[in-house]
Amino acid sequence: MSWSDRYAMVFGAALAVALLGRPLVATVRGLATGVDPARLGAALALVMVAYAGCLALARLLGPVVLPAADAAWLVLSPLPRRSVLGRAVAALLVIAVAGGTVLGLAALSAFGAPDDLVLRLVAALVLGVGASAGGMAAAVLAQASGAWDSWLKVAITGIVLMAVLVAVLGGGVARQALTAVAGAPAGLAVSAAGLVAAGAAVLLRRAWAALDRIPARRILSSSVRSGRVISAAVILDPGALTWAAEDDHWRGRVPGSRRWPRFAVLGGWGRAVAPAWQEWRRARRRPGRLAALAGSAALPALAAQAAGGLSALSIGLLLGGALTAAVVFVTGARRDGDNPALARLLAVDGRALMAARALLPALTAGVWSSLALAGLAVAGVLPGGPWWPLGPALAPALAAAALRMAGRPPVDHAQPVIETPAGALPTGPVIWALTGVDLALLGCLPTLAALTDPAASPATSVVVQAVVGGGVLAAFLLRGGRRPAASGE
Amino acid sequence: MSEMIIAAYGVEVELGDTPVLRDVGLVAAAGEVVAVVGENGVGKSTLLRCLAGLRPPLRGRIEVLGGPPVDAAGFWERVALVADEPAWYPGLSVKEHLELMRAVHRDARLTVGEALDTFELRGRADLSPLTLSTGQRQRLSLAMALLRPSRLLLLDEPERGLDTAFRARLAAILRGYAGDGGTVVMATHDLRLATATGARLITLEAAS
Repeated sequence: MSWSDRYAMVFGAALAVALLGRPLVATVRGLATGVDPARLGAALALVMVAYAGCLALARLLGPVVLPAADAAWLVLSPLPRRSVLGRAVAALLVIAVAGGTVLGLAALSAFGAPDDLVLRLVAALVLGVGASAGGMAAAVLAQASGAWDSWLKVAITGIVLMAVLVAVLGGGVARQALTAVAGAPAGLAVSAAGLVAAGAAVLLRRAWAALDRIPARRILSSSVRSGRVISAAVILDPGALTWAAEDDHWRGRVPGSRRWPRFAVLGGWGRAVAPAWQEWRRARRRPGRLAALAGSAALPALAAQAAGGLSALSIGLLLGGALTAAVVFVTGARRDGDNPALARLLAVDGRALMAARALLPALTAGVWSSLALAGLAVAGVLPGGPWWPLGPALAPALAAAALRMAGRPPVDHAQPVIETPAGALPTGPVIWALTGVDLALLGCLPTLAALTDPAASPATSVVVQAVVGGGVLAAFLLRGGRRPAASGE
Repeated sequence: MSEMIIAAYGVEVELGDTPVLRDVGLVAAAGEVVAVVGENGVGKSTLLRCLAGLRPPLRGRIEVLGGPPVDAAGFWERVALVADEPAWYPGLSVKEHLELMRAVHRDARLTVGEALDTFELRGRADLSPLTLSTGQRQRLSLAMALLRPSRLLLLDEPERGLDTAFRARLAAILRGYAGDGGTVVMATHDLRLATATGARLITLEAAS
């Protein structure tokens, strides 16, 4: 590291303190309030889900990774493994401390600080950093050993299940227990934080010892995976990421073979439904993803409970989650958009195939948003009802948006860069990111309006949403014209 | 006289300002195998893309099966193309890709079992195509193209990744396809494969 690098780092840190110091202090002082029992369970569940998500991400990405050249040369050399991995481990520690700080502050905001703010703040930070560093150490151990990997998976699942329990029971029978925990003396919080820190120290020591034993192939594969992530981020091609994850999932797996249905009863439409069946079969072969999607339908309700009512975050989670539920089931359309070789061999009319491919994303988006809306109603943030019929009404628009996203070409970096007061804005990535989202926003406007100002009976909104959603999908399919499925050229 | 399947005259293509094809002609009749040969970069793949309707020529006239080639479902029902980038649907096995092809096309030329045996993929039937070697993936692409019915087969370097023994088998498969009345136009660097199929050779030379 040169002197100019050190200067830039110190200057950046000083600038960050100058800019963020005051609002941070104000935020921390704002935490010096008692706990809101109605929000406690949901807020705590959100913190736990975030922690489980971070653990899953660390496990997915490595967490010990090296630049491609270092991974290819140094890991396979006779150099001591710890010295080769030293910088990567230091980076992980910095990430763990930063993430733990945020986690601790989030936990403190959930529990509140009725007294001894400084002591509770220290306890929360120690708790957050301890949990974060311990989790990172466990992920390193999981990278080194299959047994630890299994334990980590169990732990992540356990945390998610606990979050569900806290969310469900926190508003009812467990509310008093959680309030009692929140009201425990500050000394007890410090003791708990000390225990977590001690556990983290043990895990860190074991992880440091295990660094020498991490198999080279695991570091290499993690480094390749992370390299893809970085290169996809650098060239701003996020689509490459999802393909990398999809291919990683299927590479080396034996999906097995089942007879393909003939769909002869559908007549001419059967030819279009047959290729679309690929997505149904793939969905059935990834039950874990379906379960995760179903579980995530509780997030909008949790966010609403944590905020004490319907907020922009919970509405955003509702529409974003529903769109995600559609997007993960359009891989066939994406494949044909990226490489139409197979679509040309199938020689199926593009519009009919697109219509057949809209069925599954419409179903998943409809079911997901119905569950999420029912959750919001159960959480008591929506008046009257029933609200769940908005889900099926939203589905066609979300399916159209997902198919539009599937067909978008890679980011066009030749698009102009617009200078704004906030800095340069490259329009290529912006247009890429908005393609599909634009259709989702347009098609979901009636639902957005209904949720912004909820009426006692959403029946009118449901009808309007169904008409708009169906219209958006019909227009999307008609505008696609009679292009071949192989429209990627 | 055999039915004319491809008639291309005076085809010219430029990429940027660089001429790739200049005054190229190609005719192919039903039941004929045509091999387009030449050095790297002389425009073999570009010519195939023109015949497939994927690249309109700057000048010249191309007719395929009695009309201009177009990238549309109706055209692809009669024409099968195996180009340089094979594609697979995620989550499906090798056998299911063949099943899918058979489910979409009536009057398939082969059963799935016959295709697996002919292209020596029986032992890999339940695997994802991602786990196959380059040669095995090429065999799967060829199997899908030859399982479905077609009147014209456009192949861009079909020998890519194939071992010597299977190239000889491929030559027999293509001869059989032509014997059934189909037309094959392939761009290839393998003169032995071209000869074994009984192909008429068309040698392209650099346009500039």
